[in-house]
Amino acid sequence: MSISAVTNYVSLPTVHRRVRAYFAPVNRVLQMPAIFDPSQTGQFSLDSPPAPWIDLGWIENFTRKSTSSIGSLNSGVSSVAQYQVREAVGATVSLRFKTWSKLTMALAAGSQHMNLIQSASGSAANGSGARGIGAVVVQPGSISTSIVLNAGDLESFSAGCMVAVDVDYTGQTGFVGSGVSAAYVQGATAVNNDPDYIRRVSFNVARVSEVSANGLQLAQPLLAGAPVSGMKVQPISGFVDREGGSFFQEWSAVFVMPGEQSERVIFHYPRLQAMQGAEESTDTLAAPLERVSLNASFRALPVTDSNDGEQVVCFRSFLPGSATLI
Amino acid sequence: MENAKDTFYVTLRNRLAVLNPNRVMMLRGLQRPGILMEEAEVVVPQMPTDAFVLRWTGLDVDGQLPSALAQMTCEMHYTTGGTQPNAGLDRGRALEEMDAELFSILSPSCAQKINYTQTPAVAMATKVFWGIPQFSSASSQRERLTRIAKIAVFAFQEQGEL
Repeated sequence: MSISAVTNYVSLPTVHRRVRAYFAPVNRVLQMPAIFDPSQTGQFSLDSPPAPWIDLGWIENFTRKSTSSIGSLNSGVSSVAQYQVREAVGATVSLRFKTWSKLTMALAAGSQHMNLIQSASGSAANGSGARGIGAVVVQPGSISTSIVLNAGDLESFSAGCMVAVDVDYTGQTGFVGSGVSAAYVQGATAVNNDPDYIRRVSFNVARVSEVSANGLQLAQPLLAGAPVSGMKVQPISGFVDREGGSFFQEWSAVFVMPGEQSERVIFHYPRLQAMQGAEESTDTLAAPLERVSLNASFRALPVTDSNDGEQVVCFRSFLPGSATLI
Repeated sequence: MENAKDTFYVTLRNRLAVLNPNRVMMLRGLQRPGILMEEAEVVVPQMPTDAFVLRWTGLDVDGQLPSALAQMTCEMHYTTGGTQPNAGLDRGRALEEMDAELFSILSPSCAQKINYTQTPAVAMATKVFWGIPQFSSASSQRERLTRIAKIAVFAFQEQGEL
């Protein structure tokens, strides 16, 4: 059947049903956030965002607040506002992640987020995980979804296990972690000179889908891409965060509200830092079953818009649908 | 509203034909995908089995917007007695299969509104969109299991539409 098209442009309200979240790490060493340009990639496929954005799925309870304040300059005997001044610029954003993962949990917690490295036999108990079993060296030829290992190093791994892949801690100071600045190390003594410390905080984690004679096939790509020389791999059993900690993670974020008439509202926060500790909320499915969500709340930090030099904390874009009068 | 109702029906019919080509029915002497719009067919004493029957019920219109927004309620009735080779003992599975098919063909939850009263059909400016289905409890009558799913269907009224 052929269908001809007739377009009567109309003025339509924006109707949307949900919000999708994408995050990208801020390069803390270079102080470079990820910048989303809606003029270039505003219409990206929601299922495959452009690099370096990581899809964290549909979120709920998305709430934006402006904390900017505007004051007035008054003059006259009966004081009358003559001018306005922008006294402060700020914004917060809060949301709930529907699913738990390394990234959503870490974003919601906001401080160092640790991997529970499979503990070595007899190691002393510790709240954020005990001393781990020995890490094994990643061999050349590894890629983001496949880790080549020596045949003798495979015994600690099985299909379905989870792994952390990163370099040894060898006395580095400053931001550590491949792909994402996962923590800030002030000195070797602060982390007990633990060779596993970077793998303990690293975001370079994945689930193993298959163990072959050559190594590990991963069910998801490593966030830092192909492993580099010097990286090692350790099995992990899960994740842990803490109420407390001195480190602030920093992320860039894009939130997309797809409208029902193909319009799109996009909120881009180049720099977000968590402004609350770890917190959950629940929705009752059928008592006593409850779905547990991760609450996250962020404060937006400024960047300079190179178009005019203004300091801003958020960009809101609107890409109208094809039938909407603008 | 008629264009929105037609669009909703044709969209689901086409999706069903792709999803499960075996779900067919004989209607007015023709084999068609197993879905029909009740108000556009002759009145029958009993709903067909193993097919989806659309029944339009509620209507609300928000006339305060630049373009009036209509919200219509579509009830999707479906009933099954299972299959003869299994003596109907698979009627629970058959109903579950229809549940899954309905959930599947409702996604994505929008479609370009099309005026099918013209030949060729004319694509209109806006989209019809709908919410998630609200499934009722399954009811049992003799050998048949029946369920009703309610779906809120929305459409902006365009120039020249009723």
